[in-house]
Amino acid sequence: MEILYQTAVHLGDPYLFLAAAAGVAWGILGGAMPGISPSIAMALLLPFTYTMEPTGAIVLLASTYVGAEYGGSIPAILIRTPGTNAAAATVIDGYEMNKQGKAGLALGISLYSGVLGSLFGLMMLMLLSKPLASVALAFTPPAYFALGILGLSVIATLSGESLLKGFVAALLGLMIATIGTDPVTGSNRFTFGSSDLLTGIAPVLIMVGMFAMSELLVQASDRSEGIKVLSRPRMEFPGRKLAKRLAFPQAIGASIGTFEGVMPGAGGTIASFMSYNEARRWSRHKDEFGKGSPEGIAAPETANNAVAETALVPLLSFGIPGSNSTAILLGGFLIHGLVPGPMLFTRSADVVYGLYAGLFIAALSLLAIGMLMLPVCIWLVNRPRPYLSAFIFALILSGIYSIHASLFDLAIMLVAGTVGFFMRMLRIPFLPAVLGLVLGYLVESSFRRSLVVSGDDMSIFFTDKVSLALLVVAFLFVAGSVGKRILDAVRHRPSAKYSEGSE
Amino acid sequence: MLSRDFVSGLAAVLIGAVYLVFAYQLRTSALDDSVGPGGLPRTYGWLLLTLGLLIAAGALIKQIRSGTALDLKLEWKGQGRRIVWAGGLLAIGICYIAGVSTLGYPLAIALLLAAVALYQGARPGLHIAAIGIGGAAFLWAVFVLVLGVSMPMGLFAFL
Amino acid sequence: MRFQHFIAATLAATAMSVFPAAAADYPVPTVTLVTHSSPGGGSDVFLREMSKYLAPELGVNVVVENVSGGSGAKAMADLAQAPADGSRFYATTPTFIYTSLLSEPEFKYTDLEPLVNFFIDPEVIYTATGSAYQTLEDVIKESRESRGRWGAANPASLERQALEQLKAATGVDAGIVSHEGGGDLMINVLNGTLQIGVGEVQEIQSQLEAGEVRLLATFSDTRLDNYPDLPTVEELGYGVVVRKFRGIAGPKGLPADVIAAWEKATQAVLASPDYKKAYEANNLRANYMSHTEYGQFIDDFANETETFLRETGVIQ
Repeated sequence: MEILYQTAVHLGDPYLFLAAAAGVAWGILGGAMPGISPSIAMALLLPFTYTMEPTGAIVLLASTYVGAEYGGSIPAILIRTPGTNAAAATVIDGYEMNKQGKAGLALGISLYSGVLGSLFGLMMLMLLSKPLASVALAFTPPAYFALGILGLSVIATLSGESLLKGFVAALLGLMIATIGTDPVTGSNRFTFGSSDLLTGIAPVLIMVGMFAMSELLVQASDRSEGIKVLSRPRMEFPGRKLAKRLAFPQAIGASIGTFEGVMPGAGGTIASFMSYNEARRWSRHKDEFGKGSPEGIAAPETANNAVAETALVPLLSFGIPGSNSTAILLGGFLIHGLVPGPMLFTRSADVVYGLYAGLFIAALSLLAIGMLMLPVCIWLVNRPRPYLSAFIFALILSGIYSIHASLFDLAIMLVAGTVGFFMRMLRIPFLPAVLGLVLGYLVESSFRRSLVVSGDDMSIFFTDKVSLALLVVAFLFVAGSVGKRILDAVRHRPSAKYSEGSE
Repeated sequence: MLSRDFVSGLAAVLIGAVYLVFAYQLRTSALDDSVGPGGLPRTYGWLLLTLGLLIAAGALIKQIRSGTALDLKLEWKGQGRRIVWAGGLLAIGICYIAGVSTLGYPLAIALLLAAVALYQGARPGLHIAAIGIGGAAFLWAVFVLVLGVSMPMGLFAFL
Repeated sequence: MRFQHFIAATLAATAMSVFPAAAADYPVPTVTLVTHSSPGGGSDVFLREMSKYLAPELGVNVVVENVSGGSGAKAMADLAQAPADGSRFYATTPTFIYTSLLSEPEFKYTDLEPLVNFFIDPEVIYTATGSAYQTLEDVIKESRESRGRWGAANPASLERQALEQLKAATGVDAGIVSHEGGGDLMINVLNGTLQIGVGEVQEIQSQLEAGEVRLLATFSDTRLDNYPDLPTVEELGYGVVVRKFRGIAGPKGLPADVIAAWEKATQAVLASPDYKKAYEANNLRANYMSHTEYGQFIDDFANETETFLRETGVIQ
C-alpha cells in the first residue's frame, strides 16, 4: 500500500497533470494518423523533453504511448485504416459497425475499453511488477517460439469459409516476413540488392495497403451509387445491458494484454489478435463476430491499452525495452541520467511514483480528450464518398511517406493494396496474411535460436515447461476448430463466415 | 474450369514456385545454424505450393461432382470492369509517386485530392479546386508543420 | 524515421541560446553530427552528451541528426554525398564497417574519410550471479565437457565475431546464439538459457550494480580502470582483443584547417574534467587517434573483419 500512498502524493502535481494531458492529446493525434506509430509520435517529442524536469519528461513520453495506442482505433473504425499495428484487430468489427451507422457507439466502446485497459494495466504495473517481471524471465527462446505458434493458431478463426485459403494467406504473410536481414546469420535474404529492403518490410505498409488501400480500390471498382449509411456525429457509451455483455471480453483483453505486454518482443498486435480470438471463442454471440460485434472491439482495445502499461515492467525492472516505443522511453530516462533497471526503485523511487501518478492521470485524460475529439472525426467521415475517398487516399500517402521519408514505401503500400484487392476478388481472406507477417520474425528467430541453444535437439520445445504448455494449448485450439469444421462439413452445415475476406 | 477457387489455387502455386526459386539461391555460410537462412523459406514455399495444388484440385472435384458446367460468365460477371476501374485509381496513386518529387508535396497532394474526387464521381466545378487546395493546406499543416515530416518540396522549396 | 528537419531546428535553437556562435577560425557556423542510431538509442544519447562539450571547443553550434534505416546504409549515403566543408559528419561505430561488408550498399565506408577517434568501448563477458561460473575458465571447461551456450546481441556484429574467435581459440563446441539487441540477450543470460553473454559495460551497468550479473573477463587490450581485478581474455591465453571504436568520419576531401580544428578540439574535449568524470563513470575509454592514425586503424579494422567474414563464408 506504500506504493498507492506514494503515488497519490503526486496526483495533485499540476505539472504532471499538464504533461500527462499534453502527452495523451499528442498521442491520440499521432496514433490516429496512419503511419505515425506510437514510437514515432514519442520520438518527435523527445527533443522537447531534454530541457524538462525528469519526471515530467517521462510522464509526457509514457502518456503519448497510452494516447497513441488508443488513437489507432479511430481510423480503424472510421476509415478501415489501422492507425497503429495493434489496432488491426479492431478494424474487423469496428469498420462493420461504422458501415451500419453505429460509428458513435463503436468509438464509445473503444474509448471506454481503452480507459479500462489502461487502468487495469496500471494497477498490475504498480502492484505486481515483481511477479510479472519473473514471467518475463521465464520466457526462453523455445517459449517464445511456442507463443508465436499460439498466435498463429488464431488463423483458424480468421480464415472464413476455407481453412486452406486461410493457410495460403498466412504463408504469404510469413514469406513477406523473411525479407531483410537473416535473424541468425545476419546475411541478406530476398533483398535483391536494394538497401530499402535491408531492414525488411514494415508490417504497417502491408496493413494499410491490405485494409485501407484495397478498400479504396474496391470502392472505386464499384460504380453503383451505393447508399452510404451515415452515423450521427455523437459519441455513445454503451447502456447498462451492453456494458454487462462487454465486461467479459474486456476481462479477456485485460489479462491477455497484461501478459503480452510484460514479454519483450511480443507486443500489442499479437495481444489484440489473440484477445479477439478468445473473446469470440467464449462469446454467446459468436455469429456477430466479423459482422459488427461490439465485443470484437472491446476485447482488442482493452488488450492494446493494457499492453501500453505493462510494457513498462521489463523496462523498469530490467532496463530492457521490449518494443520501439519503450526503447524511446528508455532514451528519455537515459538523457536525464536515470538508468532503468534493478536500481531504479532504490535510487529514483520518486520518479517511478511520479510516473505511476502521471499514467493514472493519462488514463483519465484519455476519456476527456477522446470525448472532445470524436464528434469532429465522425463529422469528417460523413462527407460525401468521393471527397472522403480522396481525403483517405491523400492521408495514407502522406502518413506512409513519413515513416522513412521513402517513396519506395509508398510503392510497397500500393502493391499490397493491389494484392489485397485481388485476394478479395478470389475470396482469399487477408487477415491471416497480416497475422503471419506480424508473427513471422518472432517464430523464425526463436525457432532457430532454440535449436542453436539445444544443439539441434528438437526436444527442447517439450522439455521447456512454458513452451510445452503453450504448444499444447495451441494444438487444442487448432484441433478444436478443425474438428468443428469437419463436423460441419459432414452434417452439411455451412461454416459460419468469420472474416471479411470475402467481397 | 476457371472458377475463382481454381484460380486462387493456381495463383498460390505460381507464387510458391517463384519464391522457391529465390529461396534455393540463398547462399550458406559457416555462421549458419543447421536450419540456415533458407530453411524456413523453403518450407514455406513447398507448403504454399502444396496448398495451392490442393485448393485447385478441390475446386475441380467439386465442379465435376456437381455435374453441371460452370457458368463462367456468371462466376466472373463484371470483374473485368471492376479491375479497370480500380486500375484507374491505382494509376492516380502511381502518378502521385512519380510526380511528388518534382511538383512538391503541396501541389501534388492537391492534384491528387482533386483527381480522386472527380474520379469517384464528384461534380466538376470550382468547389473541387477549393477542396484540393484546402485539403492540401490541412495535410501540409499536420504533417510538415506539426509532425515535422520532411516531405519532398520540389517547386515549393521556398516554404 | 527521419526527423532531421525537426530535431535540427529545435536543437539549433537550444544550442544557440547556450553557446553564442563565436567561430572565427572554423569555416561554418553549425556542425551536424549524423548517427544511424534512432532517437534515444545508445549512440544517440552518447552523441548528444558529447556535443555539449564539443560545441564550445570547436566554437560552433553542434547539432545531432538521426538518419536511421538500413543499419547505417542511409547515413553513409547521406554523408558520401554531403559537401566536404566541415559542416556534416558521421558518428562511426563498427556497425558501418559491418553494414558495408555484409549488405554491399551503394555507398560504403570507403566512400567516407575517417577523421578522429574519441573512445573505445570495452566489451566484457558476463554471466548470471546465480550461475556456477566464477571464471572464464569454468565456462570453457564446462563447454569442453558438454556443448556451450554463448550469446551475442546481434547476428553479424563485433560481439559475435569476438565469440566466434574465442570459440576457435579454445577449440570447444559452443552454440553462439544471436539476439535482437542487448536487452534480449540479458534476459536469456539472467534466466540461465545462456552461460555467458558479451556486451559493453555501460549496457549492463544496471544489472551489474544490482549484483545480478558477474563479470568474467574483458575483451579490451588492458585491464579496465573501474574493474582492476577483471582479467583480459588475452591474459587468459586466448589471443582475442576487441576494439569497439567511437569516432567521427566525414565526406572525402576534408580541408586541412577542418582536420586541424577537430584534432585540437577532440583532445581538449577528452581532457575536460567535467566530461571526463561523465564518460569514465560510463566506462568509456578515451582513445584519441589523429586523422592519419584513425584512417589506418579503420583500414586495419575493416580488413580484419572482412577476412573473418570471408573465412566463415558469410560473404563471398
